[in-house]
Amino acid sequence: MFELILNILLVLFLVYSLFTHVIEAPIPDKVQRNPFALKPGVWPSVLIVLLLITLTINIIKIIKNNKGKPNFTLSYFVKEIPAFFKSKLFLGILIIVVAAFILEPLGFTVTSLFVLFFYGMLLGEKNVLKNIIVSVILSLFLYLFFGVLLQVNLPRGTVPFLREFALMLESLLS
Amino acid sequence: MFEMLAQGLAIVFEPSLFLMTLLAIVMGTVFGALPGVSATMAVALGLPFTYSMQPVPAIVFLVAVYCSSITGGSISAILFKIPGVPSSAPTTFDGYPMAKRGEAGKAIGVALVTSAIGGLFSAFAMFFLSPQLTQAALNFGPSEMFAVTFMGLSILTSLDSKNILRTTISGLLGLLLGTVGQDPMYGVQRLTFGSRQLLSGIEMIPVLIGIFALTEVFQQTKENKRITAEDAEKAGATTIDTKMPSMKEWLSIKWVIIRCSLIGTVVGILPGAGATIASFLCYSTETKLSKHPEKFGTGIIDGVAASEAANNAATGGAMVPLLSLGIPGGNAAAVMMSALVLKGVQLGPLLLINQPEYLSATFVSMIITNIVMVFVAIGIAKVFAKILSIPYSVLGPVIMMLAMIGSYATNMSTMDVKIMAIAGVMGVLFKVMHFNSAALILGLVLGSICEGNFSRAYTIYRGDIAGMFMRPIAGTIMVICIVALIYPFIAPALKTMLGKNKKTADK
Repeated sequence: MFELILNILLVLFLVYSLFTHVIEAPIPDKVQRNPFALKPGVWPSVLIVLLLITLTINIIKIIKNNKGKPNFTLSYFVKEIPAFFKSKLFLGILIIVVAAFILEPLGFTVTSLFVLFFYGMLLGEKNVLKNIIVSVILSLFLYLFFGVLLQVNLPRGTVPFLREFALMLESLLS
Repeated sequence: MFEMLAQGLAIVFEPSLFLMTLLAIVMGTVFGALPGVSATMAVALGLPFTYSMQPVPAIVFLVAVYCSSITGGSISAILFKIPGVPSSAPTTFDGYPMAKRGEAGKAIGVALVTSAIGGLFSAFAMFFLSPQLTQAALNFGPSEMFAVTFMGLSILTSLDSKNILRTTISGLLGLLLGTVGQDPMYGVQRLTFGSRQLLSGIEMIPVLIGIFALTEVFQQTKENKRITAEDAEKAGATTIDTKMPSMKEWLSIKWVIIRCSLIGTVVGILPGAGATIASFLCYSTETKLSKHPEKFGTGIIDGVAASEAANNAATGGAMVPLLSLGIPGGNAAAVMMSALVLKGVQLGPLLLINQPEYLSATFVSMIITNIVMVFVAIGIAKVFAKILSIPYSVLGPVIMMLAMIGSYATNMSTMDVKIMAIAGVMGVLFKVMHFNSAALILGLVLGSICEGNFSRAYTIYRGDIAGMFMRPIAGTIMVICIVALIYPFIAPALKTMLGKNKKTADK
């Protein structure tokens, strides 16, 4: 059922995109006047139409193949939702999405500690102290390797005290 | 020619780059050997190491990771029946039965040597073919370039023959993602949904890393199926002694190696087809050509040699269209292309004419990698149980961090990290929808090249689409493309028809 819902959502999103976002700025006059210029909206529009056709066929196939199956009902899908939010997969996604958003304000060091510690726990590391030590050592190693050795400007964070901490760490390590 | 070779040697044997190449070989072999880390993912994870490098050393480093990861994949395929990289899947058919018989060392020995031969063969093929293709490509107009790119897309339907419709959808989605931002001809804003950051389009590297690296770790998190040190001990993988087969055995598979090196190189050259298609194709070809087809799958060195010679031969092949046309031969080559584009390198036929050092350095890197990796892989096979005993609770988060650093360092932008996270989630949804991630990437990579060339050709030929493909090269390639596109759809119907005719004739 989830597969079917995702396919339908994709179709709706594509229809919305086709009518509202294929062209988002005025087409230059010289392009408008040139009858032999391929207009900027043609290529994406053709792709969306092809996608709508193939997705419709796919939706029909999904319905045909799953018709009558006990788990192919909306009520079964709704019942499964709470289990998904408790699953390791969802928690894993959540950790990475949060990490992607805290990277800029909190900087590399905090984000690295966050990912290494929480993802480590999620993957079955039960010893908290060991996990903290491993996270700190690996964060320092990654910082040294990429930040110092390969000179990648890793984000220092925008929160003042974390930024100062990152600068202090940099001066200590380099 | 010798001048170019000397130039390549001088570049690669520069001490710091040589050390980095050795690091790349070790890294690639280990990544390749780890189940769940594909060759593309290995190259993507190698990207952050190249950010401070010049373009030529960067390609040398990434090529070394690429070639060695394909070889590394055979180790876990033979020992655990789990291919380290998808292209090692056919290696499991005969490698694992050999390991079960206590011949793991011999199987690994055959895999490593045939990998090296396949890799070296394709490196020479790349060295000699790329300049020829470059010369030919200088006469290519936009319609020919469109046709070549379209050929890569036409292979989409062959990527997963059991799932043609969903693979096509995935490819189309990739092409659509490639249209986000400003259009390649007039700079008109499309599908940005008001985001200024999307104006320059979707950066390929974060999407690649998200789709390949992140999705795989998410999948492992969900399944929690990893090999433990105990499994390794049970499989006898703690004490591997790599034994080489006898000279008689080598001679018995000489044609297998030659054929598969050749087929692998040719398949690698085709845009879109890669090491996985090459190894499966060669395995099935050898089964058909063998005098003892019934023995395939029971643990014979022919099967291991076919798969491994082919998948490594595809590595050199994949570099031919990348270096001579600026069109990647596969996903790993697409990552390398992104790395070069990021460094401002103008890919295309003029690259090798103006800067032949790209070809010479890649060639020397492939030669060194294919030789050194044999010894590195023997060492890694011996300590494989120890590598596998690194708990996944450490390895998984480290892969996540490497993925984040790799995406961030592309443009020093945290937006790219967000795109990577979204791509990772998209990869998970793709699994749910049974879509094909490789097809999406192929579409994304080839999309803008395809559109740009089509637009130019359309204007040049004053809107005459038929005229665009009346040129001999473009026309021939387009006919091949159409056949390749349609064949998987009509193949089942053709088979049924032929079957019916045969039955009628028999009656």
